[in-house]
Amino acid sequence: MKSKFVFFSIIILLLFSNKILADDKALAGADFEYGQHLSGECVTCHNSTGLGQGIPKITGMKTAVFIKKILAYKTKEKDNAVMQMVADRLGEEEINSLALYLSKTK
Amino acid sequence: MAKITRRSFVGIMAASTTALSMPSIAFGALPRVVVIGGGAGGATAAKYIAKDSKGAVDVTLVEASKRYYTCFFSNLYLGDFRNYGSIGHNYYGLAVNHGVNMVHEWASSVNSAEKKVYLGSGATVSYDKLVISPGIDLKFNSVNGYSPEAQSIMPHAWKSGTQVQLLKNQVKGMKKGGTFVMVPPPNPYRCPPGPYERISMIAHQFKKTNPTAKIVVLDPKNKFSKQGLFMEGWQKHYPGMIEWISADTHGGIKKINTSTMEFETDLDTFKADAASVIPAQQAGRIAMNAGVNKGDWCPIVPASMQSQADENIYVLGDASIAKSMPKSGFSANSQAKVAANHIRGSLTGSKVFTPRFANTCWSLVATNDGIKVGANYDAKPDKINKTSGFISKTGEDSNLRKATYEESIGWYSGITSDMFS
Ligand SMILES: Cc1cc2nc3c(=O)[nH]c(=O)nc-3n(C[C@H](O)[C@H](O)[C@H](O)COP(=O)(O)OP(=O)(O)OC[C@H]3O[C@@H](n4cnc5c(N)ncnc54)[C@H](O)[C@@H]3O)c2cc1C
Ligand code: HEC
Repeated sequence: MKSKFVFFSIIILLLFSNKILADDKALAGADFEYGQHLSGECVTCHNSTGLGQGIPKITGMKTAVFIKKILAYKTKEKDNAVMQMVADRLGEEEINSLALYLSKTK
Repeated sequence: MAKITRRSFVGIMAASTTALSMPSIAFGALPRVVVIGGGAGGATAAKYIAKDSKGAVDVTLVEASKRYYTCFFSNLYLGDFRNYGSIGHNYYGLAVNHGVNMVHEWASSVNSAEKKVYLGSGATVSYDKLVISPGIDLKFNSVNGYSPEAQSIMPHAWKSGTQVQLLKNQVKGMKKGGTFVMVPPPNPYRCPPGPYERISMIAHQFKKTNPTAKIVVLDPKNKFSKQGLFMEGWQKHYPGMIEWISADTHGGIKKINTSTMEFETDLDTFKADAASVIPAQQAGRIAMNAGVNKGDWCPIVPASMQSQADENIYVLGDASIAKSMPKSGFSANSQAKVAANHIRGSLTGSKVFTPRFANTCWSLVATNDGIKVGANYDAKPDKINKTSGFISKTGEDSNLRKATYEESIGWYSGITSDMFS
């Protein structure tokens, strides 16, 4: 029973890491673990349930959509003092890592 | 077949990941982290260490209370924008979702040489790394005439608990056309805009139920956080109600008398019908006991939040000297994540990332009139260094102010679920 569980876990892990590798190629410097770490900064405001009034949910967002939205704050095309400041210090590696992690998180 | 409860399921998962990924420590005892104080700093640190180490670190949170009432949004409770129940939180999520051992007791002392924490019951807990996030203690005698007894007459309401309910009752029960006197604290103190948000919320309450009431603010400072924004808001929403008197103008509060409700200053003696006095502050007592303070507060290493006095002790939140970050719940939560990453790295060899800190503080001036100030920080050897920041502007349009207020509601829900679930 337990060995079966371990076996399936390994299969799932392999599938998962293949998926990550595939996305990695598209997203320069993207690192899942780094994205997860960085997201700690976001969840102070972005409720993981997405139910917080006034602040939208950001998990489960497609990578391209996420990057577009972050860049809109970074270039100040979109106005929000808080998000402009957050985006201001995210470089390409950070944005791509966050995109990867958030796209794979519910 | 045995019924698998959620709790035992968490236990099984934790045990199997430990066996799979950490064979070397599965034979010995797990490394132990003890966290003292389950507030903005401590609850966050306990959660992140437990969550991210997936059972490879044993985390115990020592917190005196079973329910944590946030000081943040307690002003909104004063203004009737929140009910009291909505600012109370429990620790079940930390225990059930992340396997944090909850110990609801006072930590009475720390023996840093033996790496032990002594509890009120006489029990001890050993640690490899200790996190101290006890918040503040009040220096009652910093205001001549104020005392622990006086706090029921002129509530400070600056620590979690029932003080804020007392204050609200006194505000609501104040005689028609009476005078409310408020004494804010001297720097440094928790939540720099907090006293001025409180004044706004009391004014909001008076405007509804006691419109001829007056508020006199006897400040021990000559300026304060978001001053221009608050002053503009007071003028706009509560014209003629609030008189803010700077230290240079009143010349210092010589004495307060809790039986006559009088405040003696060089300028005049002010008589109050109700009052709030917030004295000077210092790090929570347990930090002094652990010997990690230097005077009133605890110096830290900016890159990790380790105490400068003891590398196995981390000090978070209000108790630390985290210059240039203000003492806020947001700051404490941000510092906790830096410390958690560092602690886990040193105990399990996991990756330690470059520290990044942030803070944003929202304040509510009146219905749908929110303002905010925020900054990013990085770690320099000698201080936590501000790298960029913003502040709301005077004269902003009302849609932006409303959106700012709504953001603060989102933030409250975000930070409390980040701390407790
Ligand atoms: C009116 C007001 C409004 C505020 N508004 C905001 C805001 O809008 N935004 C914001 O970011 N911040 C705000 N703050 C500030 C915020 O509340 C504090 O900065 C924050 O709570 C600090 O976190 P901490 O972990 O240092 O301490 P705390 O959150 O105070 O937690 C300390 C915990 O430690 C426990 N404890 C202490 N000693 C011991 C011991 N020896 N043994 C066991 N347990 C112990 C206490 O019971 C407490 O639960 C406000 C504060 C006030 C007073
Ligand atoms: C201080 C609070 C705060 C923090 C911290 C924060 N955000 Fe935001 N975020 C907001 C607010 C408020 C909005 C809505 C802004 C607006 O109306 O344009 C937002 C919007 C967004 C959006 C656009 C969502 C959409 O669907 O339009 C994205 C993407 C985003 N944030 C990502 C992040 C990431 C990634 C982080 C962490 C690196 C982060 N945010 C940290 C407050 C915050």
